[in-house]
Amino acid sequence: MGRVLAVRDLSVGYGGEAVLEEIAFDVQRGQVFAILGGSGSGKSTLLRTLIGLQPPLQGRVHFTGIGPPERALTPPAFGVVFQSAALFGSATLLQNVLLPLQKWTDLPPDAAMAVAMGRLRLVGLDRFAHHLPSEVSGGMKKRAGIARALALDPPMLFLDEPSAGLDPVTSAELDELIMTLARRLLVTIVLVTHELPTILRVADQCILLDRQARGIIARGAPRDLAARSADARVQAFFQRRAVEQP
Amino acid sequence: MPPSFSLAVEPAPGGGPRLRLRGALTLRDGAALWQDLGGAIAGHGDVEVDLSGVDHLDGGAAALLAALAAGHAERGGVLHYTGAAGDTARLLELYACGRDGPCDRGAPRQPGLLEDIGTFAVGAVDTTRAILAFLGDLAVGLVQAVRRPRTVHTAELGLLVERAGTDGMPIVLLINFLVGAILGLQGAIQLHRFGADHFLANLVGLSVVRELGPLMTAILVTGRSGAAYAAELGTMTVNEEVDALRTLGQDPQRFLVFPRVLTLLLVLPLLTVVGDLIGIVGGLVIAVGYLDQPAVVYLQSLQLAVGFGDVGTGLLKSFAFAAAIGLIACQRGLATRGGAVGVGRATTSAVVVVLFTLVALDAGFTWIFSLLDW
Repeated sequence: MGRVLAVRDLSVGYGGEAVLEEIAFDVQRGQVFAILGGSGSGKSTLLRTLIGLQPPLQGRVHFTGIGPPERALTPPAFGVVFQSAALFGSATLLQNVLLPLQKWTDLPPDAAMAVAMGRLRLVGLDRFAHHLPSEVSGGMKKRAGIARALALDPPMLFLDEPSAGLDPVTSAELDELIMTLARRLLVTIVLVTHELPTILRVADQCILLDRQARGIIARGAPRDLAARSADARVQAFFQRRAVEQP
Repeated sequence: MPPSFSLAVEPAPGGGPRLRLRGALTLRDGAALWQDLGGAIAGHGDVEVDLSGVDHLDGGAAALLAALAAGHAERGGVLHYTGAAGDTARLLELYACGRDGPCDRGAPRQPGLLEDIGTFAVGAVDTTRAILAFLGDLAVGLVQAVRRPRTVHTAELGLLVERAGTDGMPIVLLINFLVGAILGLQGAIQLHRFGADHFLANLVGLSVVRELGPLMTAILVTGRSGAAYAAELGTMTVNEEVDALRTLGQDPQRFLVFPRVLTLLLVLPLLTVVGDLIGIVGGLVIAVGYLDQPAVVYLQSLQLAVGFGDVGTGLLKSFAFAAAIGLIACQRGLATRGGAVGVGRATTSAVVVVLFTLVALDAGFTWIFSLLDW
């Protein structure tokens, strides 16, 4: 498969204060890699650092074969789907997907439209192409966000809490889409979540972050961790119960 | 950079062309693929495209192939993709049209004139209904507020007064001073021609106190506080904070609208008085500086020309303006729909409607005062 992302000795945080320290992990090409942890464990801060929106306090993030995220000069090396989908409210779903195509390709307008419609068809939203984000449901916004992130065929996709706020059926549909992207489009996916059904359904590998430890407390296949980990914090996470205080 | 694919055209046994694509089909070469393949199939019926020589296909190129097939079908032809295997076949299938119905090419539907008129009419009815509902809620809230004044949320009244009044004072002072000075200068030039310099105080005083002071101050308060109220309440509405208030048993009228209207009823007349005074000072500066008129002459003329009745008419207008700004801005804010765009639209709408209302009210008051000879 080959490594596509290497994180080494990474510390992330705000104002010089580390939320996470000495983070190290690899993501392999074609993998669905989950960053897990409870609220306040630093998942989203780590994600922001990985995608280049926040500088690390220390350490490095290295992408293999897809170049660093120099946004202003080259097409984005990866797609990002934000927790709120972050669609532009004044633009239709189609216009949202067209935006990166118009910026980074020389496609004539009808060809760009065809590619954008293809992306929307892939996520099941072609019939809603001319709707504004405010006119569609939360799950549809997330799918439109995925379509926009896929617009330039990035080899890698980062998803922040894709299932947050969605009903179980919509969440399961989104999980199916994530698996389709990984298994059929061979997109490497890094997702941040604390939704157990999503983790167990889609993730090949994961790391579990802990607020008190300020780092990774477990790593491996989610089902293995859920079944075999002896760490009380890992068991508490996968069994959805409070950690017993010493 | 040359495209990383090649397209060969051969005659097919059936008479039509047989196309062979080789190499890598990617979004990077999408424009060339669209033009080359689109040009090659144009004018033909059944066309076969052999993809057995394609060693890489990405999603963007697959979407283009699907759209070309759909477009060709719309023109009565058939485009067959053959020879695809492995990932290429899988991607073609993923992006193919027709799995859930016909392939939408993405061209936006243009509404006709009749539909535009209908949409406008429905929008007008909805807006009217929302305004009536707001006025109804307002009436109910007002009755309850009179019966139980403590139910009105007054905790942030001080802060609202500070934002609308104290923070707005510098711009009110500056603009009204300039308006008084400009009016004074224009008047002085004309009056000086007729040797009527001593009437400058009459011109500036009456114009500022009766018309320009209240109106300019109200316009400034609309731009600062009215727009802020519409945006603030609009954001609260789209974030469901207003719904949350209702579920907590709080009436949005008494919690959000009344404090803001009350604030403007307190602040705008005071700002108007300050604006009147500084406008008169603007005229005084011109009288002294341009006409060489002693300040005492200007002030004595002013005393003779401007009475308490004139100040009263201006203040009466300012109360009406305050109610109009507060109510319209809050109504527009609470009627906001649809995220950030909706908030922007509500804010714009609030400012435009308030400005129109201010001018209409001013004209109405002036007409009534002239009838009553005030």
